[in-house]
Amino acid sequence: MTMTLSSFFARVDKPVLAAFGCIIVLLLVGSLYSSSFLSPEYLLQQLQVASFLGLIATGMMLVVLLGQIDLSVPWVVTVGGMMSTAAAGWGPLGEALAIPFGITCGMFMGLISGFGVAYLRVPSMIFTLGMNAVAQGLMVLRTGGFAPQDHSTDTMHFLATGRSILNIPNALFVWIAVGAATIFLLGRTTFGRTVYAIGNKERAAYLSGLPTQRVIMLAFMASGGLSAFAGVLLAGYSTKAYQSMGDPYLLPAVAAVVLGGTNILGGRGSYIGTIAGVILITLLQSILSVMQIDEAGRQLIYGAVIIGMLLIYGRQKKVS
Amino acid sequence: MDANIPLFQMNGVAKSYGGVRALEEAHLRVEAGRIHAVLGENGAGKSTLIKIMSGVVQADAGDMALDGAKILFPSPKAANAAGIACIFQELSLIPDLSVADNIAIANPPRRFGLIDRRAQRRFAEEALARAGAEDIHPLAPVKDLPLSRRQMVEIAKALARMPRILILDEATSALTAGDVAKVFAVLKRLRDEGLALLYISHRMQEIDELADDCSVFRNGRHVASYLAGSKSRNDVVELMIGREYSHVFPPKPNAAKQGAPALEVAGLCWSHQLNDISFAARPGEIVGLGGLDGQGQRELLLALFGVLRGVSGDIAVNGVVRRARGPRAAKASSSAMALIPEDRKTEGLMLPMSVRDNLTLPALDSLARFGIIDRSREQDAVDTMVKLLAIKAANLDIPVGALSGGNQQKVVIAKWLMIAPRIILLNDPTRGIDVGTKQEIYQLLRKLADDGATILFYSTDYDELIGCCDRVLVMYDGAITRELVGAEITEHALVSSAFRIQEPGEIQLG
Repeated sequence: MTMTLSSFFARVDKPVLAAFGCIIVLLLVGSLYSSSFLSPEYLLQQLQVASFLGLIATGMMLVVLLGQIDLSVPWVVTVGGMMSTAAAGWGPLGEALAIPFGITCGMFMGLISGFGVAYLRVPSMIFTLGMNAVAQGLMVLRTGGFAPQDHSTDTMHFLATGRSILNIPNALFVWIAVGAATIFLLGRTTFGRTVYAIGNKERAAYLSGLPTQRVIMLAFMASGGLSAFAGVLLAGYSTKAYQSMGDPYLLPAVAAVVLGGTNILGGRGSYIGTIAGVILITLLQSILSVMQIDEAGRQLIYGAVIIGMLLIYGRQKKVS
Repeated sequence: MDANIPLFQMNGVAKSYGGVRALEEAHLRVEAGRIHAVLGENGAGKSTLIKIMSGVVQADAGDMALDGAKILFPSPKAANAAGIACIFQELSLIPDLSVADNIAIANPPRRFGLIDRRAQRRFAEEALARAGAEDIHPLAPVKDLPLSRRQMVEIAKALARMPRILILDEATSALTAGDVAKVFAVLKRLRDEGLALLYISHRMQEIDELADDCSVFRNGRHVASYLAGSKSRNDVVELMIGREYSHVFPPKPNAAKQGAPALEVAGLCWSHQLNDISFAARPGEIVGLGGLDGQGQRELLLALFGVLRGVSGDIAVNGVVRRARGPRAAKASSSAMALIPEDRKTEGLMLPMSVRDNLTLPALDSLARFGIIDRSREQDAVDTMVKLLAIKAANLDIPVGALSGGNQQKVVIAKWLMIAPRIILLNDPTRGIDVGTKQEIYQLLRKLADDGATILFYSTDYDELIGCCDRVLVMYDGAITRELVGAEITEHALVSSAFRIQEPGEIQLG
């Protein structure tokens, strides 16, 4: 596709440009601290870590575009990790099916959330929070009192940590594949168009004869599946699945989506922005930890920076 | 008061939005104790004018004077304090609060810092009485009131601020004929009390009846001001649209339509709001739905479209009885039904989405293969519709919310024409849009009917029903009380049957 640079900038929203600008600023600030921040090795490593968040943020973005939210991320990530490692313990067949099994479990959780939001009309904030608790209960029940198989398979480990082509992390390829599919889904399919329509005005979308309920349910299912996929990769990354492995991912996922310019009330946002948001959040976390600020200080700065950036975006929208 | 100094004056006011000139060189002279009508098509700058007057937006150039002294309104609050109250086209009431809460919302009476409910209720009662709407209970939640009653509350809310200048922007567009008469009596009384009123309406007969002075705007410019009654209606319309204005309504076919009905309804009931409705409509017919607002016309259209749950009775399309299971089933090719909803901003369009994306929403399935949108087919379909309806947009990728009201309504109609509907349900499609666009819509409807579509057309404007429809079904209290055919459709017949005047003892106003 041919696209001139100016038309490219015209198409990209201001928040997306701002997010990319912030990434550059962060890198420059980091490089003042240590020159290794601009080295390809460091950047690739950050992209590898960002890939896990990228998968979760992709699902979150679909749901946020609908004007909903998925708060079941933490324990659906854990479900993905734990169920895939569990399958790995069932012999060779289980080992082969470990990844799809983990993802399917997450999709199932998402399907239930989606059914509750789309058909039972329960607000997603409540329903997914409940699903999070249910997932937690199920996982605790499974691991409580005895030690099940919790080691990841070689394939999981390979996908999460391996570098097969040009020293580029495999996890990044996974994210690129999922991202490309999402860009296509949002831009070129009836599903994507319907997602935007629902996010803008669900009533008008329904009256236009769009399958609003089905699309909402499918979006939640995708979100659950992607969270679980991230869980699978995380289990591969640390070679085992453990309780509350998904806890650190909820706020960053929502923040990445919103920092990338997706309207938290739905209907507006581009996937490019989500990519920028994910990278931005990952770099921020990395720089804070490299600077060896203690945990409490890190959390403080991290939270303050996110709120500050959102305030800036909010102002921009009002002015334009 | 010195006769040479008007209560309010505006000179050379200009305003542009991002390069688009909404208003230039606007002049206006408002006198106390007179009703001043502002006329013009949508996009003529009327809304911008009153937004500047009421402090919602600030002018780029020019000045305003109140009692001869120059003033600036940096905010709506400042304009309010100066005695300018405005009733906008869009309602500003909060549905979940009571009538009294809404009326007193800007400055509720307080005791010890808490809202004094009793004082607030008295305050609201007085304001409602001043607006001629004593029958509205001040403690009723606004969401339980029909649209026309809400409009009365809106007027009461504006009057509660004791304005010297009251601006009404399309304030009667949601009102029933009975309410309009009441509002007019109130407005005339307010005028006699010395208030200046600025009145904006698309309904010419209202302006004829009400206005003392008129100012016409076109394309953001002030075109003419004149004393009411000094120009013929035709002259005024020409001033507004700047071209010869003839044949508002396309001619109707002479012969009644024959053939099998495309839509047959038998014994349709829904809770208490639709009672045993039966009728049939044939291809090529435009069937009007008349009556006072809120007599079940909306519900009937929604029931036909399959939106309401628990509807009993039979709906047959082309002789086949079907139970519509929502808009998706209704628009399917077997019934090919389209509903042009009442409120284009919340039900018809996704305002932030592009014109293109809005246009293709109902027809997405037919423009896609395996869920992937065929871009060239989409482009062709969009181009056809933009041309057919002469939609004026800078380009098709701008948000549909940036278009003028008339063009937005065209997009709503166009998006449904994409599925080539055989049955078209219209819910007051011309509300708040300009004369030129209305005329285009009437012609389009007749053309669609001539091409074999069956059209069910609800309108609150009696002129439209008279000018457009082959038959009119007058509804009252959820039932069809009278059918008017051909020459029987007159304003007198519509009004009398809407109020059920032929049956004494059952007369009920509002």
